[in-house]
Amino acid sequence: MRHVGAIAGRELKSLFVSPVAYVVLTLFAVLAGFFFLASVLSFDSNVAQAQQFQAFDFLRELNLNDHLIAPFFQVMWIVILFLVPGITMGLFAAEKANGTQELLLTSPITIWELVIGKYLAAAVFVILLIAVLGLFAGIVFLYGEPEVAKTLSGLLGLLLVSLTYAAVGAFASSVTRNQLIAFFLALVLLLILWLLSVVADLGAAGGAVTTNSTVSQILRYLSSADRFEQMVQGLVDTRDLAYFGFMIGIFLLLAKASVESVRWR
Amino acid sequence: MIEARGISKRYGDLLAVDNVSFSAESGDVIGFLGPNGAGKTTTMRILTGFIPASDGTAQIAGHDIFEDPLAARRAVGYLPEVPPLYPEMDVVGYLRYVATLKDVPRSKRKAAVERAVERCGLEEVHRRVIGSLSRGYRQRVGLAQAIVHNPSVLILDEPTVGLDPIQVREIRALIADLTSAEQAEGARTVVLSTHILAEVEAICRRVILINAGRKVVDSPLAELTQGGKRLEDIFARATTADDAAGPREEEG
Repeated sequence: MRHVGAIAGRELKSLFVSPVAYVVLTLFAVLAGFFFLASVLSFDSNVAQAQQFQAFDFLRELNLNDHLIAPFFQVMWIVILFLVPGITMGLFAAEKANGTQELLLTSPITIWELVIGKYLAAAVFVILLIAVLGLFAGIVFLYGEPEVAKTLSGLLGLLLVSLTYAAVGAFASSVTRNQLIAFFLALVLLLILWLLSVVADLGAAGGAVTTNSTVSQILRYLSSADRFEQMVQGLVDTRDLAYFGFMIGIFLLLAKASVESVRWR
Repeated sequence: MIEARGISKRYGDLLAVDNVSFSAESGDVIGFLGPNGAGKTTTMRILTGFIPASDGTAQIAGHDIFEDPLAARRAVGYLPEVPPLYPEMDVVGYLRYVATLKDVPRSKRKAAVERAVERCGLEEVHRRVIGSLSRGYRQRVGLAQAIVHNPSVLILDEPTVGLDPIQVREIRALIADLTSAEQAEGARTVVLSTHILAEVEAICRRVILINAGRKVVDSPLAELTQGGKRLEDIFARATTADDAAGPREEEG
């Protein structure tokens, strides 16, 4: 595993000399700012309306975690879903297009070192994105008193979801030499992953499957949506942590097999 | 040294390399000749560990490419047909990265990179970004990449393809210089594929000619050209003899 650091370091440097990293970071910061402002304004108007109609029960219920931070995180989750493929699209596809794959596969490194090195670079970038969101959440702490644990649980949820998406993106990048195809393939996979629970709900509503049927349960298990929701609500369950670890492992395993497949042909 | 025993490569029904065996000692400079699609690139890719052979095996510097692939790869320097460069990296940064991948110990990395830069005449551009270099210089960086870890086997796949005549002359001189210097050290085996016969005459001591995946000639250059025989005629005779049965393979 001693080549992992070198591979990850080179990948990160490459990301930051290409426009991709800056485009993604700028877009992310601008969208985060916009949606944060929108969440604050919406919270403000909620308070104003509740006061105007003297809805004291609602006012008591209203809090910064559930009505400001959680909606903000939920929107940013969608933003991340669209941006992570942009970070991961080049991981393996660019090596194939450059011809540098031939250098890597004729060097005394293992394919696991390569895959983990690449993934690590994407993970560092993802952590950077979540840190930006942490700053926005920090602003709320300057002016109010949201619960720390609940906020951190939400951030952890976002981080785990993003790391899972990065693994999916790494796999998508490993099956093609074209970065654009890698981007859209990752996006399609992520949307499918996201919509699995919706599919389960629809099936149940349409009577095709009951909520407790095996199919529905499997779909629900694979979907990241419900788990993320729970973490935003402040529920950190070891089963959910295991789920994210499982998904990351599966997709890195697929990426490894895909990189290795040049040797089978 | 290289010891190839019965290497074959099948792509479905197509036999790209058919039972090729040869051995090369330290100090050998071998011209790997053959028409396009003869199986040169495939054979080299097998020797470098990029793809496995369907049959047969090879030893690189005493390490079996199947049983001890990492040690075998450590002993090989390889310049593929398209030099494996990162256009956004500078020359020194790139060579240092390759040295790390090739297991050059940390304490020796700087010296190894300096040596490769000097040997390949890259001093003037060593801080330049690779993407801004001319093709001739990129090819030099490709060569530097192949020798940075001082491998005992050097494999070069069509090192002068796509260059202009002056760059071809420069690269050829550089390879001749590298190989003759290696000769003095007596420690390296060089295999160079090409279909340019003048290149073989300028650089190589020994010729292996493969056609349709099979080895048809393996002999010292001096013996082949004895009595004023021309390499071109030998090439033409060897490659047309059984051309009808020859499979075709996409190079690159």
